[in-house]
Amino acid sequence: MSELVLQSLYAGLLAGGYYALIALGLTLIFGTMKVINLAHGEMVLLAAYIAYTAESVYGINPVLAIPLAVAAVVLTSVMVYGLVSRIRQDRELNSLILTFGIGIVLTNFVLMVWSADIRSTNVPWFNEPVVIGEAFYSTSAQVLFFLAGLGLTAALWWWLGRSWYGRALRAVASNRNAAMLMGVNPRTTEVISFVIAGLLAGIAGVALYTVAVIHPDLGHNLTIKAFVITVLAGLGSIPGVLVGAMLIGVAEYMTITLASSALQELTGMVMFLLVLFIRPSGLFGSRGRVG
Amino acid sequence: MLEVDKLRAGYGAINILWDLSLTIREGQTTVIVGPNGAGKTTLLRAIMGLIKASRGDIRLNGRTTANRATWDIVHDGVIMIPEGRLVFRDMTVEDNLMMGAFPRHCRKGAKQNLAQVYDLFPRLAERRHQAAGSLSGGEAQMVAMGRGLMEEPKVVLIDEPSLGLAPVVVDEIFRIIARLKREGRTIVLVEQNTHRALAVADHVYLMRSGQVALSEPASAVNLDRLHDLYFAAEAAGA
Ligand SMILES: Nc1ncnc2c1ncn2[C@@H]1O[C@H](COP(=O)(O)OP(=O)(O)OP(=O)(O)O)[C@@H](O)[C@H]1O
Ligand SMILES: [Mg+2]
Repeated sequence: MSELVLQSLYAGLLAGGYYALIALGLTLIFGTMKVINLAHGEMVLLAAYIAYTAESVYGINPVLAIPLAVAAVVLTSVMVYGLVSRIRQDRELNSLILTFGIGIVLTNFVLMVWSADIRSTNVPWFNEPVVIGEAFYSTSAQVLFFLAGLGLTAALWWWLGRSWYGRALRAVASNRNAAMLMGVNPRTTEVISFVIAGLLAGIAGVALYTVAVIHPDLGHNLTIKAFVITVLAGLGSIPGVLVGAMLIGVAEYMTITLASSALQELTGMVMFLLVLFIRPSGLFGSRGRVG
Repeated sequence: MLEVDKLRAGYGAINILWDLSLTIREGQTTVIVGPNGAGKTTLLRAIMGLIKASRGDIRLNGRTTANRATWDIVHDGVIMIPEGRLVFRDMTVEDNLMMGAFPRHCRKGAKQNLAQVYDLFPRLAERRHQAAGSLSGGEAQMVAMGRGLMEEPKVVLIDEPSLGLAPVVVDEIFRIIARLKREGRTIVLVEQNTHRALAVADHVYLMRSGQVALSEPASAVNLDRLHDLYFAAEAAGA
């Protein structure tokens, strides 16, 4: 029994790395623009299907398809920004409706192009077992994208905290007029944040395809997962995303091990509610902060 | 160098500046005084392109700034040091200061300028990792000032830099302004402390209800008469 618990702890932590990948883009946009991109999950899914096509049609390893998937999702992300930035009033609220609609369009696009079948990778390498200490079992894909999640979280954190444009993005979030007085064009920084969100969503999509199975109506599940992690983290906290994602991962695997896999998706929602009741600012939250 | 020509501007339906004209000469320090609500801050905002003129024009080196964005004006070397309330509240003191070096031409000197700002305001060095929103009003004012110095301006518009500061810090601020002046920078100083401001001024404008009520070279200004006009303005405004 305790071995099973340890194994699910390990699996949960690994899953957290790739859950973080899924959440980072949403957190970035939300933390800096107060816009919740409800099409985020569909963008991740789009990348997953591009990886699938690259593998099944052209025989390209999904990992090598990352540049293509990223390019497509970045383009989508910038188009989403193009529409969101046209909102003149109540951007926070109206962007919800707008991005919800974009999500539906994307879902239908995926259905039309790839049909409703369930897909997963056939490249054996991804499913090769990686055994650590003879006790912890995982696959190569899980380990790979756990590491990618760690690395990209750290990179995003560095970028927001230390780079010129990351700092400028936080400045725009903090005081738009004052940022303009520092020579910042707010639209440039916002486009950059959507480009980065697209980049992360693209990589997350390829991770999703190699780690799990995909089907066209997975999009909103992914959005919800990303949103739950964002709230758990404390809105806008990047290190919080990693911790929140790992908590969700561990809680899900524990639920599967100790209860039933049917309850897996519920676990995240329960944690979400608990956080809202007990610590609404999230694990790392201080109001309105990003970084 | 900077000409404001019959400028009319305000906020939405509320007009504040009424056909206001003034000239800022290169290398000079122009002081603008006037009662609360006269529109001094509004004028600085209009020069920076944060609000648009509904009539009239603002020219920088003979070229209109009407269709130029605030960030372009900043890249041309015209900057504004706003009141301390406009710091980035949820960023650290150091991040606030580093934001001043955002324009490309300021980045190379950023490290050096930062050390210099900490030299000028040791208090900021002590609080470098603290969120600017948790600073006292005076400290926030120092952040705004330091951030402006990081921007290496050619023309600097300073909005009431001494507001809420202890006398020793006010001394420091005016020493900095005197230094900027010696370095040949063009300065527009909005200041309630007329006595201190006059000591660095080349030219003085008195603003009242969105118009220029007095324009005189600093050497010709009679403080008593200025104060009379000033308070007359307040009485009239009340
Ligand atoms: N954002 C705004 N929206 C509407 N009205 C504004 C706004 N900002 C300022 N005002 C109004 O514009 C007028 C001029 O304000 P302004 O800040 O330019 O005065 P000021 O001369 O800088 O005064 P002070 O010495 O108090 O700083 C005031 O009556 C003020 O109420
Ligand atoms: Mg003012």
